[in-house]
Order: sequence, then structure tokens, then C-alpha cells
Amino acid sequence: MLALLGSLALLGALIGAGLLVVRGIHVARHGPGKDLTGAARLLLVASIVSMAAIELALITDDFSIAYVAENHSTTTPFPFDIATAWAALEGSILLWGLVLAGFTWAMVRRYRSAPDSLGGAALAVMGGVAIFFFGLMVTVSNPFEVCVESARLGCLDSSPWPLAKAQPPLEGPGPNPLLQNHILMAIHPPMLYLGYVGLTVPFAYAIGALSLGRGGTEWLNRSHRSTLVAWSFLTVGIVLGGWWAYEVLSWGGYWAWDPVENASFMPWLVATAFIHSALVQRRRGMLQAWNFVLVIGAFALTIVGTFLTRSGTINSVHSFTQSAIGPALLGFLVLVLAGSFTLFSTRAHLVSTAPRLESFVSREGTFLANNLLLSVYAFVVLIGTTYPLLLEAFTGTQVGVGEPFYNRLAVPLSFLLLLVMGVGPVTPWRQANGAVIWQRLRNPVVIGLAVGLITALTVTRNGWIVLASTLGTYVVASIVGLAGVQIGQRRRKRDQSRLAAARAVLIDGDAPFWAGQLSHIGVVLVALGIAFAANLGAHAEVEMSPGDTTSFEGYTITYESPFRRSSPGKITQGARVTVLEDGNLVAVMEPAANYFGSDTTGISTPDVLTRADGDLYLTLLDLDSESATLTFDTSPLIWLIWLGGAVTAAGGAWSVSARRERVRTPDPADDRAHV
Amino acid sequence: MSERTRNRLYVLAAGILAVAVSLLVLNSPTEADRVETIGTSIKCPVCQGESIANSPSTMARDMMALVRERVAEGRSDQEIVDELLGSYSGAVLLDPPVSGATLFLWLAPALALVSGAIVIVWWERHPGEETTERPTSKTRSRRRALVGGLILAGSFAAIVVVAGFFLQEDSPGTASGVAGLAGQDLEDVSNETMEAVIAANLDNPQISGMRLALAERYFDEGDFQSAFPHYLAVAQSTASSEPQAVTALVRLGWMAWTGNQEVELAIEMLDQALAIDPDSSTARYLKGQVLWCGANEPGEAEQLFTQVIDNGDLPAGSLELVEEDLNAVRTGESCT
Repeated sequence: MLALLGSLALLGALIGAGLLVVRGIHVARHGPGKDLTGAARLLLVASIVSMAAIELALITDDFSIAYVAENHSTTTPFPFDIATAWAALEGSILLWGLVLAGFTWAMVRRYRSAPDSLGGAALAVMGGVAIFFFGLMVTVSNPFEVCVESARLGCLDSSPWPLAKAQPPLEGPGPNPLLQNHILMAIHPPMLYLGYVGLTVPFAYAIGALSLGRGGTEWLNRSHRSTLVAWSFLTVGIVLGGWWAYEVLSWGGYWAWDPVENASFMPWLVATAFIHSALVQRRRGMLQAWNFVLVIGAFALTIVGTFLTRSGTINSVHSFTQSAIGPALLGFLVLVLAGSFTLFSTRAHLVSTAPRLESFVSREGTFLANNLLLSVYAFVVLIGTTYPLLLEAFTGTQVGVGEPFYNRLAVPLSFLLLLVMGVGPVTPWRQANGAVIWQRLRNPVVIGLAVGLITALTVTRNGWIVLASTLGTYVVASIVGLAGVQIGQRRRKRDQSRLAAARAVLIDGDAPFWAGQLSHIGVVLVALGIAFAANLGAHAEVEMSPGDTTSFEGYTITYESPFRRSSPGKITQGARVTVLEDGNLVAVMEPAANYFGSDTTGISTPDVLTRADGDLYLTLLDLDSESATLTFDTSPLIWLIWLGGAVTAAGGAWSVSARRERVRTPDPADDRAHV
Repeated sequence: MSERTRNRLYVLAAGILAVAVSLLVLNSPTEADRVETIGTSIKCPVCQGESIANSPSTMARDMMALVRERVAEGRSDQEIVDELLGSYSGAVLLDPPVSGATLFLWLAPALALVSGAIVIVWWERHPGEETTERPTSKTRSRRRALVGGLILAGSFAAIVVVAGFFLQEDSPGTASGVAGLAGQDLEDVSNETMEAVIAANLDNPQISGMRLALAERYFDEGDFQSAFPHYLAVAQSTASSEPQAVTALVRLGWMAWTGNQEVELAIEMLDQALAIDPDSSTARYLKGQVLWCGANEPGEAEQLFTQVIDNGDLPAGSLELVEEDLNAVRTGESCT
């Protein structure tokens, strides 16, 4: 029943997407007239129904659906049964389609209030992308295939025909153990998808504007909110992914430059560059052609990301799924790139305006530096991820590209970005002179260096940490200084209280600007967290018998006893450990291994004690009746990374919700350019 | 104080601070953790893309222990890396050298940075050239055709390249034998390649041998989750030879029992194995263990253990093991 319902819903979504393309093109060519709401509603409702069908099948243990039979078991607990809907390939494509339908619906709502040909063209592009993804679902990646030959655990053979006679197994193997080991895995993928898929919206407007040969900032204004929403979710998704890796994968790290991590990071870098360069175009009319390139690039990279994640081409810790979907995604990627850039090159002369850059010493100049650095950064990640693959494919030579490569290139690029991040916000538009910039930066520079000196004298002389604290302090000081000066001016002008003036400047004034600065502060926190956790952590591996005590980084750690707990579908075996500091009990920790369903290897599950100065991270390596082998790690200030990620995303969210008054509000830096 | 003097003071202060910080950092007594550095630059042979420093697998830990030992002995980084690459097949250097095949990898980002900077400077010098002279419709359409043609040609080339990539990945099945790996020794083939070849030859009955080899490899690595479907396929395929099916069934039985405590399922698998090969000692011994430990049937277990011993034909060292178990059953000990 559910298979039939789901399959029909997929067809409905495909029809909705098709109608949207046809009618959208009609609107784009002949002006508003055709109704687009119906098609988008069909797309949305059908996607919701198909997602509901798969969820219902999971909740009711309907093993006649092959996806359920292969990825679910009767013992999978809540909320992992819900999350199983996107734990494997077919379901994750379905989630992709649902999110795409949601964004399309938001666009249609906007279109209804002011229908025009650009809106129609953009919706036609959304429809086209939806056709591809729902097309995948009715062909190579069908989540509603019926299990026609059951295995003992799972499904041996399935049929895409929803009325095929089902032979459901009695039990399935359940989702990948790694995926049900932590609640973050239920949240991280939807966040990431909201980010990935959201980047389709600016792409759709860009293609719409290019097809109509209509330049200007209209397409940027329309996609502005979606871009920021997508970027914020992408930020959250990436940081949650790192956090999940840290809490589950038990090596004490959060980022390994794994191809799949890179896949989410590349669109983020390009989207970040786009947000900055879009600002230059909206403000000064420059970089129009470059913005098209960035948006097409960001969208293409989300497809590259899906390809890397879902095709199994690159084997990495993330390759939970392997399938024949790879060629389809690769073909779509080539189509997107070839189509977009053909369109771009034939229309570029219609949409490019290029006012002169008056001087490199200007806000525009710092944005150019930012864009150059972010683009090269994305290129480094792209070439590092794909080079071994291509080299092996064409020459058979196996090379490894790992952490050392990225660290050598990404670390300097990151520090350069921090450097520019301090200069940009205080630099006036159009033409500045060095003296003005130095006058605004001298305080932050001296404060930053002073904090660097204090760090070197009191905390550590590790160069990376000292550099990160120096540059981080300098960026924050330049932002705080800018805010302070403006609030002071406002107080003097209007004779307001400090609070009222702060409110007037930060909230009622140019909120998007300050939202951006909040994101900058978030990035600084992430950089500090990375510098500390990567360079000051301690590590030890110890074999202990019950009752043994050892000391580690100021903690006294005692292995009390092994323990074993079972809950439905899961058995946990681990070591109970007490942690004392200065004779006081700080925590009882239980590093363990979880055994899910039919899994016999056990998923090592670290126990993390988070304190103000950082984490104590315990992992169980081996456990037998006589002893336990444990690893101890400290991750100083690692929570700064999670906090920084949240602050960065909060800046994006604030910017979305803030009134958009960029053009009317006088720029803070301009005000002071004449001081 | 004049603005000029103030500025000078700031420059002076910044200079002094910068020099002080640099001196402190450059004379820092802490040196990079060599064990960690070497560990992150070697790919763990049995993992998927993780370095030995980041992998909890036994092999990675052994390799890290070796690194620690060699660093303590005072060997150079290069010596240690060479030793690791030499003695562990499948270990790959994750820090690509700035030469040979990976030279371009290092040059490309530098080239991108430099050419990006050149484009920006050029653009600043020649702003809006494209828009200042409005092209006539004729030159425009000609230019359009040219650019469009170039891009189409480029994308065609890209499609060919991509197709070539996939064809090379898992060459589609040829008329006979298992395609894609003709003439290669299975020992030299990576798990990933085997997976790809199997996936490309699902309909080829001759794939059982490779499936079983891959499953055994996963099994030895402790990756039962990956091994399971392959054993299952071998056990169910009519094309599998009898020994192949028996091995797969015994492994399945073992996994069902130890992993899932599924006693009945395990016994069913083992019975199937014994039905194919009534002389299989491993199946019989395992069945005995399952009956003894899982089903609490010491009597039947005793019988099976005795048969195993009577049957002879056991690998070296196994006889003692079985005899030990037999004695334990006889004396009524519970299973350990």
C-alpha cells in the first residue's frame, strides 16, 4: 500500500516539476499570466506525501518496502527510525527532493506577490532541478521498490513495480551502526541538505537572469534571503558534522579533510565568497559577471558533493552508500556546467556592467582579496579531493592526499583571511588612504600583538596558537572599536543613553553589516578553537586492570570496573572510570563500545567530559575480563569551535531577519572617511 | 601630543611587540610532535581514507606503536616513513611529494593564486572594455557562436573523459571470466576495486570466488557488516563451488551466533553447510560450540566434538582446542 502511495506521490512530484518548467518558461517568454502556484503546490504536497509514506513504513516496520527492509530493524529505537528515512541513498535523495520542493514553494509565494518573467524563469530552473532529482527517484534510486525476495536479514531482490507481490523479510539489519550511535546524526544531514539545496535558489535566479539577458541586482535581491538561509544551515551542518565525528568516531578529532567533509566545505567557501561579492555588486554595481560564476560554481559544487558522498567513487569513512547513481550525478554535473557556462558566455555582454575600481585601497579592494583567497581555498580543497581520483583513473598511479597537504595550504590561507577580515570592515568604500586605515587599525593591531605576547608568556609559545590569538584579537578589536566609535558618535549627536545608542546603531541601523561582523567573530572563535585543540592536546594510551590508577594532565584516573548494559537493539560494553582532580571527584566516565543488532564489531563510543578549559576525551580500545586499554586525550578549548560555528550561523540568521536597508543606510565607514 | 607623534608611538609599540612575540615563538622549546606528524602522513592500510593517527583499527595502532618506537630510537622521519611504506602493503603516503606525479598538485594552487591576482590587476586597469564598445549584432552573434562552440566542444571532451573514467573504473563485463581484473593476482587488488568489479559483474556466476575472497578479507579485518552480504550471496548462489558455499555458511553461522546470539539461525546455517559437506570439521565443531554454549545441549555437543576428533584432518593446533572443549563438556563445565 505504502509503496503504491509513495510511487504515485513521486510521479505526482515529477508531474508538478514538469508543469513548473513548462509554465515557468511560458511566463519567462510571455510575461506573467500562467499560474505557477498549482504546479509548485503539487510538487510540495507530493514530496511531503512521499516522505510521509517512507516514515510511516519505517514506523510500522513495513518490510515489504526494500528500503525499509535494508535499512531498518524492529529494534531501531526512536528517533533513529525517523532518521533512517535519510540514512541511506534513496531516502537521502528523497529528503533532497522535499527540501527542494520547500524552497520552490517559498519562491512561488514570493512570485505571487509580484509575478514577473524573472520569477517565472527562476521557477522553471527550480522545476528542472526537481525533475532531475525526482527522475533519479523513479529510476536508479527508487525509495519505494518492493522487496520481492527476502533474505534472512534484509532484502535480496526488489522490484520497482509497486504492485509486485511483496515477500517481506521478518527482520532487517537496521541502519548503519555508526548512524545510530549518536543523536547528532539525525540532525546533521537535514541541516546540510537545507544548506546544499538552498544554494539552488540563487542558481535558479542567476540562470533566469542570464536567460532573459537581464542584468542588474534584481536577481541578487530576490535570492538574497535564500542564500543567507542556505549558508547559515550549511554552516550549522558542517559544524554539526565535525561535532558528530568528535563524539562518535573516537579518534579525538573533528575534521580529517575526508573527501565527504570537503564536499560540504567547498560549497560553503564559494557561497561565502558569493555573499561578499554580491554585496559589492549591490553596493557598487561591480563584479556582476563574477557573481554569476560564483553562483554557478557553488551549485555545481553541491552536485559534486552529492556525487562524492553518494556514488561510492571515493571510499572514505563516509561512504555508507554505494550505488549506480554516480554516472547520473556526473552527467547532471556536466550538463549543469556546460549549460550554465554556455549561457553565461553568450549572455555575459548583456548583463555585465563594470564600473571602474577606483583604487585597490578601498572596501572593494578588500572584498577582492577576500574573494581571491576564498576561491583559491575552494580550489585547493577541490584539487586535493579529486586529484588522487583522476590520477588513479587515468594513469593507475596511486597517490594519497591527506591532512599534511591541506594543512600546508589551508592554514596560511586561513590566516590571510583573518588578516583581511580585520582590515575590510574599517576600510572606506571607493577610495581610502593608508593613513585613514592605519588610524583605525592601530589600536586593534597593538591590542592583538599585546594579547599575542601575553599568550606567549603565560599560556604557550606554540606559534600557531600565538598567531591565532594575535590575529583573532585584532579582528575582534577592530569590530568592537568600530562599534564603539559609532555608538559614541550617536550618543554625542542625539544625547542618548549608551544602551539606546547601541540599539540604534547595531539593531535599528545597519543590522546586516553588524550581523556580518557577528559571523566574523564566530569565525575567529572557530580559528582559536582549532589552534588550541590541534596544538595543545595531550594523548596517552594506557592498559589498566580494575582498581588501577594513573595520572594524566592533572587528573587522577581510576579504572573501577567493566560494565555491560543492554537495551532493545543495542548492547553496551565498557569501562567505568572515575576522574579526580585535586582529590575531588570530577566525573564518572564510561568509554564503551556499542553493539547494534547484527553488528559484531562494536562501535567504539568515547566519553567526553567538557569543562571550561577544554575536554577530557576517553576512548575504549580493548576490554577483557582482566584489563581495559584506554586512550586519554585532552582537547583544550575545543568547545570554542562549536560555539564559534553557532555564532557564525547566528550572524547569518540575524542578517536574514534584519530589515534590508543597505542601500539607504549610510555606510558606517563612509561616515568616518571624512573625519 | 600631535597626531604625528601618536602615530609614531603606535608604530613603535607595534614593532616592539611584533619583535618580542616573534622572538618568543621562534625560540619556542616545544617541537612538533613527530609521532603525530608522521602518523597523519600515512594512510591506514585497512581503513577507508583515514590516517594511522586517526584510526582506531588494530593495524593502525600497531603502526603508530612502531612509529613511537622508531622516534624514540632516534630514526629520521624519512627512515620511519620508508619503513612503514615498505612493510605494510596498502599504506600510502598522505603527504604528496613536490615532484613527479604530484608536482602539479602543489603548483596548481600557486598558479591559481597568481593568475587570480593577475586577472584582478588586469581588470582594474582595463575596466568595462566589453561594455564600452557595444558590439554590433553581427560580431556579437559570431562571437556567441564561437564561444558556444568552444564550450560545447569542451563539454563533449569532458563527457568523453568522464565516460573513460567510468569505463576504466569497472570495465563492463566481457564475454568470459570476471571482467576488469583479467590476469591480476587477487592479492594485489584493493577492497574497493573488488567491490567495484563485483558490482559490475553481479550477473556473472563466476564472481563467487572473488566475493568470497573479499568477504574473507573483511572478516579478517573484523568488518563483519561488510562481509555479511558477500557471504550471503556466495551461500545462496548456485554457481558457488561446494567448498565456497560451506565456508560462507560456516562464517554466516559464526556471525549469527556471536554477533546476534541467534542460536537457531546459526544451527540452520551450519546444518546447511554439513548437508553440502558432511565431513566439514569446522562446521561440526562450531555447531557443537553453539549447542553447548547457546542452546545448553552439552550432550549433543559432546557427540559432535568426538566426531570432529575421530574425523581427524584438523589444522595444526586445532586438535588440542577441540579436546579441551570436549573435556570441559564431559566434566559438565559451563561454556566460557
